[in-house]
Amino acid sequence: MEVITYILQLLIIILAPLAVGLGAGIDRKITARMQNRLGPPVVQPFYDIGKLLAKRPMLLSRLQVVFAGAALLFHAAALALFVAGGDLIVAFFVSGTGSICLVMGAFSARSPYSYIGGQRELLAILAYEPVLFLVVLAIGLETSFLVSGIGGGLLIALPLVLLALIPVLVILLEKSPFDVPTAHQEIMSGPYVEYSGPYLAIMEVARWFQLAFVFGLVTLFFWSADPVVSAGGKLALAFAVLFVTIIIDNITARLTRGRMVRFMLTVGVGLVAINLLVLFVIGQGAI
Amino acid sequence: MTLEEKMRMRSPWIMHFDTGSCNGCDLEVWALLTPRYDVERFGAVNRANPKQADVLLVTGPVTKRCEDRLRNLYEQTPEPKLVIACGDCASTGAPFHNCYNVNGGVDKVIPVDVYVPGCACRPEALIDALVLGLSMWREKVQKMVGEEGR
Repeated sequence: MEVITYILQLLIIILAPLAVGLGAGIDRKITARMQNRLGPPVVQPFYDIGKLLAKRPMLLSRLQVVFAGAALLFHAAALALFVAGGDLIVAFFVSGTGSICLVMGAFSARSPYSYIGGQRELLAILAYEPVLFLVVLAIGLETSFLVSGIGGGLLIALPLVLLALIPVLVILLEKSPFDVPTAHQEIMSGPYVEYSGPYLAIMEVARWFQLAFVFGLVTLFFWSADPVVSAGGKLALAFAVLFVTIIIDNITARLTRGRMVRFMLTVGVGLVAINLLVLFVIGQGAI
Repeated sequence: MTLEEKMRMRSPWIMHFDTGSCNGCDLEVWALLTPRYDVERFGAVNRANPKQADVLLVTGPVTKRCEDRLRNLYEQTPEPKLVIACGDCASTGAPFHNCYNVNGGVDKVIPVDVYVPGCACRPEALIDALVLGLSMWREKVQKMVGEEGR
């Protein structure tokens, strides 16, 4: 039994980022259909990664590659901690370190575009990390901080917390209205501007691991005693959240960085706070 | 075709550079990315960053002011890369041939793989050029792999 659990966990750690890659392909396809286009094949992100790995490497500074590798390692470690049923808060901070490595990588190149991208990524981190942290805290207060100890009822108890995760995912998926770090109309690639070929592929895979961790948080909200229903429901919930972010992406234009931070620190934090307050009041009433 | 080759062929990232064009060819290049022609179905996205691009779409006669920039962008694009000269001006210099401030075609500055005729070049012709270019790219990749002995 133990061995099977370990193998299953290892499989999830390997398959989760691949599922995120497939999700990115579905995202591009749905976006294209919404714009009345045909769109690329669903496996396009994997073609891109394969091509990037096969390109001739162009190195700007060794430090940059070190930071790219570190970002990948930290995000992978966060996902591994999460899947192994570890502490949510530790996984959150490890994932946060990975995000900081991305910014340090952008700052380690002598390029003004990379600097602007790094500064904007810092602002994005300032916007989404507090909300993500409060989401983790809310989940922990409701049930347990250990992922292995989290049972059902999160969706009924914390619906507004799930709602607060959606703008966080909009920022992480680099979608409008909050695609500030990689603003496509002006600075194009943001913190990734000086990465090319295999190193860009490393950054992309690191982002997949990070998204797998955050989508993992989303899947915690659905739980069922039957493992098949549980897995299906988790996947359906993650896809529903992805679909909502795609719709938001296609009906909005990019907002300024100030408005992003203001929105997340008022509405995002507010949603979690209201949810916790209501829970607290109901809990008091029951007693 | 091996999996690696297939991956390379299915994901040509574009960078568009205007070396003094009248904006006619630029609009046709942009039309490629719109719903009507939609080159994203072949995996092409506009990266506007030489370090992440595979295909350089160059429009306009190369003015002397643009020469260094064009060479710079070409050198910053990692191998294997492809250069497509879009339109008459980019191919030969057309009406600006022998002007004192113009170099002539793009091939006077950097090597060109595919020439697209037309003033302005049609988006259909550009798609044809992209498809032709990709088959040339495959040969280039095989040659490169052969040289590196991988």
